[in-house]
Amino acid sequence: MSRLTLAGAVATAAAAALLLGGCSAASSSSSSSTNASAKPVVGGTLVYLEQQAHTNLYPPSGGFYPNGGILNQITDKLTYQDPKSLKIEPWIAKSWTTDTTDTEYDFTLRSGVTFSDGTPLDAAAVAKNFDTYGLGNTALSQPVSEVFNNYDHSQVVSPTEVKFFFKKPSPGFLQGTSVIGSGLVSLSTLAKNFNDLGSATNIIGSGPFVVSKESLGKEVDLTVRKDYKWAPESSSNQGRAYLDGIKFIVEPEDSVRIGSLLSGQGDYIRQVQAYDEKQVTSQGYSVVAKATNGVNDSITFHPQNALVADVKVRQALLHATNTKQIVETIFSKNYPQATGVLAHTAKGYVNLSSELKYDPSQSKKLLDAAGWKLGSDGVRQKDGQELAFDIYESLPQPQNKQVLQLVAQQWAKVGVKLTVKAGDAGSATTDNLDSSKTALAVTEVGRADEDVLKSQFYPKNRNGLLQAGGTATDATFTDPKLNDLLDAETTETDPAKRVTDTQDASTYLVDQAYTIPLFEEPQVFAGASYVKGVAFEAVGRPSFSTTWLAKH
Amino acid sequence: MPRYLLGRIGQAVLVLWVAYTVTFVLLQALPGDAVLIKFQGGDINLTPDQLEQVRQTYGADESVLQQYFQSLGRLVTGNLGYSVQHGVPVTKLLAANLPSTVALTALGFVLAVVIAVAVAFLSSLSPFAWLRRLLQAVPALFISVPTFWLGITLIQIFSFKLRLVPVIGGTAAQSLVLPVITLAVPISAPLAQVLIRSIDAVSLQPFVPVLRAKGAGPNWILWRHVGKNALLPALTIAGVLFGELIAGAVVTETVFGRTGIGVLTQDAVNNQDVAVLQAIVLLSALVYVVVNLIVDLLHPLLDPRLSQKVVLAA
Repeated sequence: MSRLTLAGAVATAAAAALLLGGCSAASSSSSSSTNASAKPVVGGTLVYLEQQAHTNLYPPSGGFYPNGGILNQITDKLTYQDPKSLKIEPWIAKSWTTDTTDTEYDFTLRSGVTFSDGTPLDAAAVAKNFDTYGLGNTALSQPVSEVFNNYDHSQVVSPTEVKFFFKKPSPGFLQGTSVIGSGLVSLSTLAKNFNDLGSATNIIGSGPFVVSKESLGKEVDLTVRKDYKWAPESSSNQGRAYLDGIKFIVEPEDSVRIGSLLSGQGDYIRQVQAYDEKQVTSQGYSVVAKATNGVNDSITFHPQNALVADVKVRQALLHATNTKQIVETIFSKNYPQATGVLAHTAKGYVNLSSELKYDPSQSKKLLDAAGWKLGSDGVRQKDGQELAFDIYESLPQPQNKQVLQLVAQQWAKVGVKLTVKAGDAGSATTDNLDSSKTALAVTEVGRADEDVLKSQFYPKNRNGLLQAGGTATDATFTDPKLNDLLDAETTETDPAKRVTDTQDASTYLVDQAYTIPLFEEPQVFAGASYVKGVAFEAVGRPSFSTTWLAKH
Repeated sequence: MPRYLLGRIGQAVLVLWVAYTVTFVLLQALPGDAVLIKFQGGDINLTPDQLEQVRQTYGADESVLQQYFQSLGRLVTGNLGYSVQHGVPVTKLLAANLPSTVALTALGFVLAVVIAVAVAFLSSLSPFAWLRRLLQAVPALFISVPTFWLGITLIQIFSFKLRLVPVIGGTAAQSLVLPVITLAVPISAPLAQVLIRSIDAVSLQPFVPVLRAKGAGPNWILWRHVGKNALLPALTIAGVLFGELIAGAVVTETVFGRTGIGVLTQDAVNNQDVAVLQAIVLLSALVYVVVNLIVDLLHPLLDPRLSQKVVLAA
């Protein structure tokens, strides 16, 4: 078995300091990154205002931003993904090797790392973490993690060496060990029932901060861990975090979050709407937008639905959508117009902007060719049926209602009716799984790995197209070609080939007009000028271990 | 009397059971369930098989009837179950949210009564017709002010511009000031309206000119005689305002980022978090039942004519 050592070289190559804005993939302002000459000050408490309360903090639920924001401070990961180069670097794992087929991974761990309860973060703990995330733990209701495919088992070789085995080649696993959902927690946390992991105080990690107090639904207080000394090598801060603590406070109302920042009651806030950005920057505060490096904010078709079964109709709707107008009318420069299925900073991105052109006359031609004729009320008809769609507003997506309403206006110009629905979560979830009820849905996933495309479109994963064999129980539609392309990508061990596989899958998705990419969804934060050195992981969750508060 | 009490408590238990059962049936009839909302397309994305496994661990795979009796059985032993969405026991959620709502609504109600009495009494005491008309227009204004707008405006002025009270990180007392005002203003409107009307009505009764003829001043008449009589209809309205208080609390809690039963309910409805909703319905039913019981027991004390009925009934 020939082995490749990946770790060392990568680490030195990507030694660019995190502080110097190595994370500013789509940063619009750099004043939150510190200037290199200023010396960090130790002490102080950061008041961070969050839009929503955290839910269950079982690490695989870290995809939800309020959860990820907290988990990223209190847990460490096996590996570290450089937010700019997206390369994987050592962290708790000093180095690693894989076999040629990527079915076996061998990690060598740092020694001396402990969880905040004093127990060691050793091979046994890592093995238990990944066994849980890879297989789930039914006895404790702990579900599997979305990021692991084909996980089989682990093997503890020594206290500092652990191996993982997979049923099929799993090149995505290495990046999977760096994501927020793979945060390492102590054995005592994993011994708790899933139903008790919504209490932040039950989450024991090895990160630079520790949960010291929680007021459920309102506030989580973190305190610095003074003996922390195992940051990723590329971090500018190898010791304890500069801050003494962080208060995560929930404030759902946008205007109150911004007002609190501007009046000095808060230091850093998440979720700034595009229309509020000017108000923040004009008063000397900085707006920081972070790319989420995944599948763009899109409208995705359910091709089994008779109305969109014809590729001509899907292409017509794609060309009837003016994404430039959406971005210019509703958003700011922090929301780049989509030029592909994936964000332009994502791995495996391919520029498809010529295929995604706004062209209403082409759209009309396609609809005419598909047999949809304009009716007297301006809506196209065929065999007595109207070309009319319902789409559910997606609450996590920025200003989604406004976006969909604008799309509805654009589609109306070519004779297509789109009704935006704001249903309850239950109806929206069930209807979005039923292609007879919905012909299209809003989709978006953030993850800085090629696997994100599979996450979104593969039947066994999020099943964006509602193919048979997945979450949609009555589905009969299936596109073997697409699934083969996605399969090829996730099991491809040659990194260069993986990129081209991903590009092929993206191109095919747009050729078939399965999805209409709208824009690249950022995470937008705002902060006071004295907050220095805020870093972000690859999908835009803040990391405060290098953050410090200048005099103010 | 003990037999009467026992009967009433029996009735109360019956009301609670019916409320619980009706909620259970209604929640079952909704499309989707908490497990689907939480684990499909949410922050954890599971396959149908994995979803089924999760349902099993929540007992959500069993027949509706079995689930009903199981949850009822748990309830009797004081176990309210777990929140699927938040991953904590429901009792813990209630403990975290109830005190702040009780403080907010109780103080909001007290302030609403103070505002209403002040507006009504000042408007009838005012010697100037223009002031009287102005004060009488206040309830109409107050009830037209949307709660969220009022909350945001108060925050903008008193917290962000004048910096008198912080919204973030203040003491418990500081954090109550603006929310209590926000909640009290719309609640005070119907109270003040009814008070003004009934003061007017009582003032027209024959005993008022008699008092005036005896030499009583307008203040004396209003406070000692008219006011007392005029309060009764207002108290009746006050009881009905309980629902409005809760509705106002949802908006107030959201705007001010407070925890509370209001936002908890909204969140549980959005996510079909059945165990949480069941507990909230049970709690509200319990409050109604207890309040009604107390009112019914107090009635005979306030109005001797009613106590005879009780004696007969007992």
